[in-house]
Amino acid sequence: MLQAADWLNVLGLLALGAPFALVCLLGVTSLLDRKLSEAATGKLCQGASAVGLLAALGVVALMLWRGTRHEVIALGEWVVIPDYHFSVKLVFDRLSLPFAILSFLLCGTVAGFATRYMHRERGYNRFFVLYALFVLGMVLTALAGTIETLFAGWELVGLSSVLLVAFFQERPAPPRNGLRVWVVYRVSDAALLLAAIVMHHLRGEGDFYRLLGGEPWPDGHAALAGAAPLVVGVLLVIAAAGKSALAPFSGWLPRAMEGPTPSSAVFYGALSVHLGAFLLLRIGPLLEATVWLSAVVVALGLVTALYAYVVGSVQTDIKSALSFASLVQVGLIVAEIGLGFRYLALLHLIGNACLRTLQFIRAPSLLHDYHSLENALGGHLPRVGGPLGGAASSTRPWLYRFALERGYLDSLLAACVVTPFVRLFRACDALERRWTDFIAGRAAPESEAPQPYSVALEELP
Amino acid sequence: MTAPTTWMTARAASSAAAHGEEGAWLSRLRDAIDHGAHLLPAQGPIPVFIHHNTLHAFEDLPFTQAVEEAARRYGCQPYLAEERYREELERGRIRFAGLEAMLRDDLGDAADERLPPRCTRFELRLAMLQHPVRFGPTEELLWFVAETDALRHVRPATPPATRLRLIAETRRWVMRDLRGGHEAGHNGGATAGQRAAAGLSGLLERFGEARIEGWTPEQWEAFALQSLWRVCCDGAATVPECTAAPALPTRHRDLLLQTTGIDTDLRVHEVLHPYCAAFLDQGLAAWQLPLWSEGFYRAFSALYRLPGGPPDSWRWGLASELRRMEAARVGPLESIRESLDLLGVAEEEWDDYLAATLLALRGWAGMIRFLEERPDRAVHPPPPGSLVEFLAVRLVLERLALQAAARDHLGYSGPLTALRDELRKRLGTPRPHSVEQRAFLVFQLAQVLGWTPPDLHRLSEREWHTLVREIEAFSALERRRIFHLAYEGRFRFQSLDALALHAPDAETEPRTPRFQVMFCIDEREESFRRHVEELAPDAETFGIAGFYFVPMYFRGAADAHFVPLCPVVIRPRHWVVERADGCQEGAHGRRARTRRVLGRTMHQLHVGSRTFAFGALLSAVFGVLASVPLIVRTLFPRLMARLRSTCGRIILDPPATRLQLERTEAPPGSGHGPIGFTLDELTDIGERVLRDTGLTRNFARLVLTLGHGSSSINNPHESAYDCGACGGSRGGPNGRAVAQILNDPLVRQRLAARGLRIPDETVFVGGWHNTSNELVTFFDLDLLPDSHAAEFAAARGILERARERNAHERCRRFMSARLTLSFAEALQHVEGRAEDLAQVRPELGHATNALCIVGRRCRTRGLFLDRRAFLNSYDPTQDDADGAILTRILLAALPVCAGISLEYYFSTVDSPGLGCGSKLPHNITALLGVMDGAASDLRTGLPWQMVEIHEPVRILFVVETTPDIMLRILERNPGLDQLVRNQWVQLAVLDPHSSTVRLYRDGVFRDYRPQAQQLPRAQSSVDWYRGWRDHLEFAVIDPRAVPAG
Repeated sequence: MLQAADWLNVLGLLALGAPFALVCLLGVTSLLDRKLSEAATGKLCQGASAVGLLAALGVVALMLWRGTRHEVIALGEWVVIPDYHFSVKLVFDRLSLPFAILSFLLCGTVAGFATRYMHRERGYNRFFVLYALFVLGMVLTALAGTIETLFAGWELVGLSSVLLVAFFQERPAPPRNGLRVWVVYRVSDAALLLAAIVMHHLRGEGDFYRLLGGEPWPDGHAALAGAAPLVVGVLLVIAAAGKSALAPFSGWLPRAMEGPTPSSAVFYGALSVHLGAFLLLRIGPLLEATVWLSAVVVALGLVTALYAYVVGSVQTDIKSALSFASLVQVGLIVAEIGLGFRYLALLHLIGNACLRTLQFIRAPSLLHDYHSLENALGGHLPRVGGPLGGAASSTRPWLYRFALERGYLDSLLAACVVTPFVRLFRACDALERRWTDFIAGRAAPESEAPQPYSVALEELP
Repeated sequence: MTAPTTWMTARAASSAAAHGEEGAWLSRLRDAIDHGAHLLPAQGPIPVFIHHNTLHAFEDLPFTQAVEEAARRYGCQPYLAEERYREELERGRIRFAGLEAMLRDDLGDAADERLPPRCTRFELRLAMLQHPVRFGPTEELLWFVAETDALRHVRPATPPATRLRLIAETRRWVMRDLRGGHEAGHNGGATAGQRAAAGLSGLLERFGEARIEGWTPEQWEAFALQSLWRVCCDGAATVPECTAAPALPTRHRDLLLQTTGIDTDLRVHEVLHPYCAAFLDQGLAAWQLPLWSEGFYRAFSALYRLPGGPPDSWRWGLASELRRMEAARVGPLESIRESLDLLGVAEEEWDDYLAATLLALRGWAGMIRFLEERPDRAVHPPPPGSLVEFLAVRLVLERLALQAAARDHLGYSGPLTALRDELRKRLGTPRPHSVEQRAFLVFQLAQVLGWTPPDLHRLSEREWHTLVREIEAFSALERRRIFHLAYEGRFRFQSLDALALHAPDAETEPRTPRFQVMFCIDEREESFRRHVEELAPDAETFGIAGFYFVPMYFRGAADAHFVPLCPVVIRPRHWVVERADGCQEGAHGRRARTRRVLGRTMHQLHVGSRTFAFGALLSAVFGVLASVPLIVRTLFPRLMARLRSTCGRIILDPPATRLQLERTEAPPGSGHGPIGFTLDELTDIGERVLRDTGLTRNFARLVLTLGHGSSSINNPHESAYDCGACGGSRGGPNGRAVAQILNDPLVRQRLAARGLRIPDETVFVGGWHNTSNELVTFFDLDLLPDSHAAEFAAARGILERARERNAHERCRRFMSARLTLSFAEALQHVEGRAEDLAQVRPELGHATNALCIVGRRCRTRGLFLDRRAFLNSYDPTQDDADGAILTRILLAALPVCAGISLEYYFSTVDSPGLGCGSKLPHNITALLGVMDGAASDLRTGLPWQMVEIHEPVRILFVVETTPDIMLRILERNPGLDQLVRNQWVQLAVLDPHSSTVRLYRDGVFRDYRPQAQQLPRAQSSVDWYRGWRDHLEFAVIDPRAVPAG
């Protein structure tokens, strides 16, 4: 007879196991080129989400019954060396469970949607393989009990998201925009990885629970002293800012709308974009340890919200408008976290995710909706007008242009970060070439300078 | 007139006065811009989608020439890919005999000309059609030859006898002539012989000449191929270049792209995509473009000359340039002139250069031009002259982007005027076809045509020249053209056979029909009509353009705006409104108020969810509740639909309403003309409907007049599925109006005076058919006399059963519907599709259109036409000798059907180029159209999901009339003549008194001899189409047919 604790272990593992099994099944069949049929793929994805959802709900029920607020399943150590260990741990508490349930719910629904939406699309199988990776990443991140587990999930989400942005690879724009998203994600990943290393360096472990004083979420206090919480905190805030498209990284969010509608809906409109906020929620007590770190988070959130609101009010396509609408709320959520309202932030996050998913998958209905609204109102819809309606007529065009060009954020990043970075490495490269040429005594072969190759249309007159 | 235009014209006028020659350049420039502008896509805003010929701009050219010219201009495909046609050949859709016939026909007398080494031109071309001719970059071919079996095994397509001969002849040649040194060759005596010997002796050595008598058959095969390859290379080396090198592109950007791989359009478009969308936005963004009313050019200048822009280096000069232009008061046309001068574009080049520049962002530019010409199609149309302003802005941006790119990537800092010369110099002359490329063509053909190495070796230089030239002349494009003709031909023969062999059955022609139904000519109604006739053999159906000749601006009782309900070529002069019935006005008013309150709330929520505080409240407090509709709508679409329609019935639809058709004066200040039609106009409409359809006698007691439309959700292209004859709207009001007109006793009196007596007991009932969920709705049933209630109920019962069957027939084309669905399940399936948020193919639209038959229904009744034929009723026996009725039918039907057919054609042959690609990444922008993903050009044409099953053929018109009448009609109507003469449509006539079919070609009709003996027969439609997904052959549906098996 299984004890309640055993049941909890079984269900907890099932919640992670369901998406994991899905990845294995879809991945292996794809690798062996024995792709499943469209219907089977769709059913499997929905089934896995349903199993995961039920398991997570089961865990909730068990925890309520047992009256616990914090349960841990340790899956063992991946790497153990003196002073360093990489442990895989799942944690079930008031933060991870709602987020996992949300992921299953939205992903399951979107799987149902995509099964029909992507019907007969050439990349159908590819879409669902990436989808499975995404779900696994989301759940792993949600349930992660250590920073290294979280990092694994975080990476899966990033990789699958980027490949979904670049889903329509036969056109040039999606891969180009996918690459932009990828670069920002890498910056964010690097910050997270550095944070993990610093944490290990300071405490020899990456366990959130112990790092935050051994109290269940949302209580806790930073168990680090001195400047340490600040260093870790800043790194984690940078990681969160990249992932959640907070200023100044906001430029990637509208670019992520290149993929098919369901993936933009659930991934960038709803789940992915909240991942940074989730990370900040997880380390909330750490932020509280330093006043000015909290202040930075609040400011970052408010600036992002304000930015997204201004930019959003001039967007002329529905998906960009919705993505900035979502970003306004993400900014507010981050600000709430900075102020320490963790339950409010969690509720806000879940509500925003559900609302935006619905709005995104209905985005193609816009013309129809406007038509019905006009009929109901008996005339053309009024324009709302932009922000700062009363501002001087000289500032408004400036602000409009700022908004139309999305705050120049991409250009600024390109000019201030990317270009110097690339220049530096090009300089190193040139130096190296000169050196090798000198040693070889001749110039490097021409093949190292690739020629542009454009495929012309076949024999047109 | 708006400010910028006056400004510009004033400047232009003064300068023209000052310098006469400067005025000349102005009109030259305007002409050049117009010339480019007419090449732009002419698609309007998609909330009202109107099908039109994608290549409308080229209609003055013959079809073949036009598609090739368009391919060059747009960089798009003129036909399907060659492999597609070859697949069709393999699966029998193109018949080999048909391909041969088409090729022979195309070549005419030149077919049998002998070509070296020993074949006719016909044989050569047929082989090139039959077997794939691979071509590619030299490096790829060399790799192919070196790394694959190409030099070890003869092509699998080679017949075994040819293969053996190839090997045997080579062997004999080597053994007898080559090794003995007796081969001198015809081409240039001993030198050539030595050369061949030198080339082949190396080969012999490599194969081991010493053991030559012990070579295995495999070795001989490899040797034969290798020697063949060498001979081909040697031969091809002597041939001079015979095809002209492709011209270098005109635009700097294209040259720069070829030289450096840097695309300056990316930068220019990064600015123009959002700006064009903001300029044309019809209300999606909350905040409108400031200074919008100043026009494209001045608003742009005002925004972008502000300080503090982005740090992109290429745009550093933009603000100062705009400030300079503002200070010097440079107008848009002058700015274009200035840019052209700075770019070094000479006046002779203007046409081409400006056309190419406009086409670089053709979606947005086309929309600007369309709305300039049809401002009635949008709420906020751009002011006239916007396209010129767009071009001016574009050229300024292009100048800056080019300057920066040339500086950064070429190290070029000279003037832009000389940039193109510099780029051309760097590109050098384009490489001609290499020896290997040409040799490879001959090498492939030699194997299938059985040319042996000695054969080719003995060719003279001149013969080699002829051979290569012949092969290159039959380019991929030419091959596709022939394939396409054969592809179309097969369908044409099948259709004409069906009409020629199908004898009207006297017994299926009812004497006085039980009831009659009029449908739109739409090919989607063909199956519906057939099912009605199968279920009720004593009923009769007619096809008529779905606007029923009631051209009107219509506003429903619950609508905000008037919509035009007629073909796009007609501008209606009448306004019609639907009003609540007198005694129900109170209820109607209450509902309207409820709707307004609900509408306002919904709008607040919609806008508010994107704002700051309200959005926060909404998402934090109520956001979780969104998961309920999210899950229900996605996973249980039909349940949600039922819930919504229940709620909708209570608040949305007005109660009983009436159409106000009789004339009243318009309320003052309403901005439109008088409401309704005069009695004479109503009588004209009634007469036209009856005479055009030939329904002038044998009236049944009940006549139904059905319009059609289509409902689907989450579908930006919803309107493209609606009635084409109603200008992309639902045709219900037209069906309703015509019934009301023909029921009107006053109209009937006047009709009787014109010799059209409608019996008193005949009642007309209007309605509409939803082609997506198969619902048939009737109007004004409360006015139906009791005496006809039973008959109406019976007829309605037939329609109910017919719609199930129609749904069933449609479901065979949906891959996601099982082939074994029952009738009821099929109906459920199509109902679910129409309500499914995730469904990108709510129906397949006109994807099956291919044919239009204008004639009496008895000529087609009982034929299974597979939803491929527009059916226009016309009775030639009631027409006069000039074909007056036919003329007006064709004037309406031919352009509309041709437009639909050609739009489907082009969206199919090049979905990303001429259509709008896959629907999946579409993103509604500016409330005008869709773009791909985050930012792109506005996408025009039809999405891939709509045309997926379409067979791209030009529509075949078959008209039941005599050649004389038809030719006279064409002669008098240049618009129709152009479409027919230039072969944008195919045309045939069906003799009214016999089964003779005559096919139009080059201005004359020639008798068509049926290719088949008889048509397949089936007991019912379902017996014929059951279990089959693909297009079907036409068959006779005859209940007395012997069941198969």
